[in-house]
Amino acid sequence: MWLSILGLLLGISLGLLTDMQIPPEYADYLSIAVLASLDTLFGGIRAHLQGVYDDKVFVSGFFFNIVLAAALAFIGVHLGVDLYLAAIFAFGVRLFQNIAVIRRILLTKWAEKKEVRELQG
Amino acid sequence: MKNPKQPKKNNRTSFSKSIIFSLVFLVLGFIMAYSYSLSQEEEAARNFDGKSFSEEEKRFRGELIEQQERNKSLREELQEKQATVQEYEDSFSDGENRFADYTEEAEALRRYIGILPVKGDGLKVTLQDGDYEPDSVNPNDYIVHESHVFQVINELYISGAQAISINGQRIHANSYIVCTGPVITVDGVQYPAPFTIEAIGEPDVLESSMKLSGGVMDQLVNDNIIVTLDAGQKISMPALLTES
Repeated sequence: MWLSILGLLLGISLGLLTDMQIPPEYADYLSIAVLASLDTLFGGIRAHLQGVYDDKVFVSGFFFNIVLAAALAFIGVHLGVDLYLAAIFAFGVRLFQNIAVIRRILLTKWAEKKEVRELQG
Repeated sequence: MKNPKQPKKNNRTSFSKSIIFSLVFLVLGFIMAYSYSLSQEEEAARNFDGKSFSEEEKRFRGELIEQQERNKSLREELQEKQATVQEYEDSFSDGENRFADYTEEAEALRRYIGILPVKGDGLKVTLQDGDYEPDSVNPNDYIVHESHVFQVINELYISGAQAISINGQRIHANSYIVCTGPVITVDGVQYPAPFTIEAIGEPDVLESSMKLSGGVMDQLVNDNIIVTLDAGQKISMPALLTES
């Protein structure tokens, strides 16, 4: 747990300190990568709450989604088709779905807990 | 056998899991922070077109004006300096002229004090005792006295003589001329008559000043002295310290 927080802080500081300049047309890749990573993160949380969580699926999904989204955007830029919109759309929809599922699960859990407490009381 | 193995494996998997998670979070943090900083830069770049651009322009213009003013003041300073240099040069050439004047003056003064032999146009005055007159009781009436010599010398100096000699002996500021009987002593050297007084200067001026009516010439003639003026001769005089 602490190690992962440490990794997060390290990543943030590294990202803020990096003075690397990339051309503005490649900034799209980055936004898609961010979206993909967020989607995977929330997907992982949902899977954990649903009890179907698997390390391999999560980690491979995390990196593979990022690479796939970037590759899609790359191809789109070179074909002149805004393919990254597809990635954004897909990830966006999934992100909202995942968050909705998480919310529902948490609500049910909370309700169950309350019921249990009432029964005990 | 199963029991002790279980926690170990569990421990190991949780460790590797946390490693993987830290890696995932590292990538996540990096991507997010990097895109954040990138978007910040983009925003700054976009803002450059508007207000900050005109501000920048204003600032640059101000700097330019400052520089131009500085250039102007420096140029003025340069002109001032050049004027000073010119002044110096003028005064230097003046000084050169003055130097030449000084040299001439020194030359003239050297002639006066007589430390150098001189040559030049001048006037030659010969004073001779008057002819012997048996009627006259006093021989002083017709011989040349030192006062006569003085008169001539003074007159010559007044009319611009630069160097004077008596019988070839230079006269200087401290010379003394004494009458000792029939002879006169000039700086300790005795000379009998006739006395040849040579003066270097403008011959015409010297001669005419001698010949002024009622002047030295007339007085000398009144005193029965035979005076001869000989202008237009090259006269050369020895230096004061040379042995004659």
